[in-house]
Amino acid sequence: MTAPHIELEDLRVTLGKREILRGLNLQLRGLTVGLLGPNGAGKSTLISTLLGFWTPSAGTARVMGLDVRTQAREIRALIGYMPENDCFIANMSAISFVRLGAELSGLPPDQALERAHEALFYVGLGEARYRKLGAFSLGMKQMAKLATAIVHGPKVLILDEPTNGLDPQARTRMIKLIQEMRALGTMHIVICSHLLRDIEETCEEAVILKAGQIVHYSNLEEERASNRRFVEMETEGDDGTFADAIGKLGCVCSVTAGKIRTVLPEGIEIRDIYRLAADRDIQLRRLNYKRDSLEDIFLKAMDAKEVPVGRL
Amino acid sequence: MAVYKRTYKGYAGPLTHPATRFLVLQRYAFRSVFKSRMLLMAYMACFIPCILVICVLYLNQNATVLALIQQKAGFIKVNGQFFINFLGFQSVLAGVLTAFIAPTLIAPDLTNGALGMYMSRPFSRAEYLLGKGAVIAFLTGAITMLPTGLMFLVQSMLMGWNWMLSNFYLANGSFFSCAILILVLTLLGLAMSALVRWRIVAGALILAVFAIGKGFAAMIDSIMRTHNGDYIDLQILLTKVSTDLFQVPAPIYDEIPVVGAWIALLAICGFLLWILNRKLRVCEVAR
Repeated sequence: MTAPHIELEDLRVTLGKREILRGLNLQLRGLTVGLLGPNGAGKSTLISTLLGFWTPSAGTARVMGLDVRTQAREIRALIGYMPENDCFIANMSAISFVRLGAELSGLPPDQALERAHEALFYVGLGEARYRKLGAFSLGMKQMAKLATAIVHGPKVLILDEPTNGLDPQARTRMIKLIQEMRALGTMHIVICSHLLRDIEETCEEAVILKAGQIVHYSNLEEERASNRRFVEMETEGDDGTFADAIGKLGCVCSVTAGKIRTVLPEGIEIRDIYRLAADRDIQLRRLNYKRDSLEDIFLKAMDAKEVPVGRL
Repeated sequence: MAVYKRTYKGYAGPLTHPATRFLVLQRYAFRSVFKSRMLLMAYMACFIPCILVICVLYLNQNATVLALIQQKAGFIKVNGQFFINFLGFQSVLAGVLTAFIAPTLIAPDLTNGALGMYMSRPFSRAEYLLGKGAVIAFLTGAITMLPTGLMFLVQSMLMGWNWMLSNFYLANGSFFSCAILILVLTLLGLAMSALVRWRIVAGALILAVFAIGKGFAAMIDSIMRTHNGDYIDLQILLTKVSTDLFQVPAPIYDEIPVVGAWIALLAICGFLLWILNRKLRVCEVAR
């Protein structure tokens, strides 16, 4: 098993007199992790704590094995952070801004310039790299922030609401970039978002926070895999016996509104269904795998009255 | 391979030393400050008094000139008062320069929330302040500390080793007077910019602090019938410590002791640092 890149042990953070994070226990190992939760759940506070902006009032938090209390500087050298809010200097060109970020992370000036060009081309701002950031559209600003976050080659990339305010085209581009970076496998990505679809499309793991506590942890990859065998079909030319035939294969089967739903047991594959349909001269007009959506999981977690606290 | 064809990859190359990272900020800040040609020209103009004074020092010891004006020992007396007069003039220029430059350093960062970008790097708030403050310190130092040091060296070269040794307090005075002036101006410039965030207002506030301090000091003095108000008048405090360092014999602001002036100046610097500590934060607690 790989070592966790983010590890929280009874992490508590108090701001003013209010306890914002209340005993978080978590070990994240996946390449992409989604951080979900309603407003005020503590997502941003958790990110700020990982970056060393807030000091934990109790417990520990480690990033790549480094303690946020004592090794915040070393942690920041490993992290690329894309904040939710505007974070730029309006009268600076994109290339200067991204280069400044790289140099502050320790890259020598010539290397920083080269990497800034690369990063801006990578996020699709190559042609606009000499334009002032103040003249950028919201989508371009988001991309510039992403370029600044990745320019120094971080080991952990934290994206706070990366698709906030983006039009569908820009959102698709952002999601594609995140998926590409995940595919490279060189960095762990933590995405903090309200948009469940974003998390569903990009993440392997999802952590749902509510009122400063973790209410649900979901390994989306495993869930996808475990629910793969839930099959929904629409047929043509069925005299009503196809469902019975599937049942005889050992599948749990139900028919509602002309749709046959079944859970395939071990040893039964989709091709067995196709074969059965071919033998009976039945057309399979639609067949899809259905699984619990992240939205279902999120809503269930929000409805949960008892907040389970424990190691995940 | 052309840059635009490359895909994303990690970085495993060399890194700069962490202790030198604040210089990055300083380099970018200098570039941004001198983008304005007007400011550059105004800054160059700040060196004119220095060049004139050095010329005067030379002429003051030039035999031909002295013969022409029929004087033996020079037409001006180079002593603490001479240095303090020059420094007083340069201090005004340094103050105005700070009012123009300081807001361009910090205010844009705070307005656009750029602190998050700086602080999410291996870069501390102290380094941020050092990087930005070094720009003000360098620019004001170049028109105060550098000219007074040059004046002392030129006069020493003209008068000889003995004059240098017997008047070394002038070099000492120049260094420490300029150092405290630069420190106060730097912290004042940064703190006011962080406090207001709006460039024009921040610039005006920096200049106003001197006037407001003077006004409050006069008010306190007249209401309380004491001279304790002088402790918040930056001009009085700076003049008091400078006259002491330059060993000017004429009594000036005798109502407050030199030690008191030093303590008041350090307390003001502490207060300005406290403002910076409060205002330069990436996240703030909403109460």
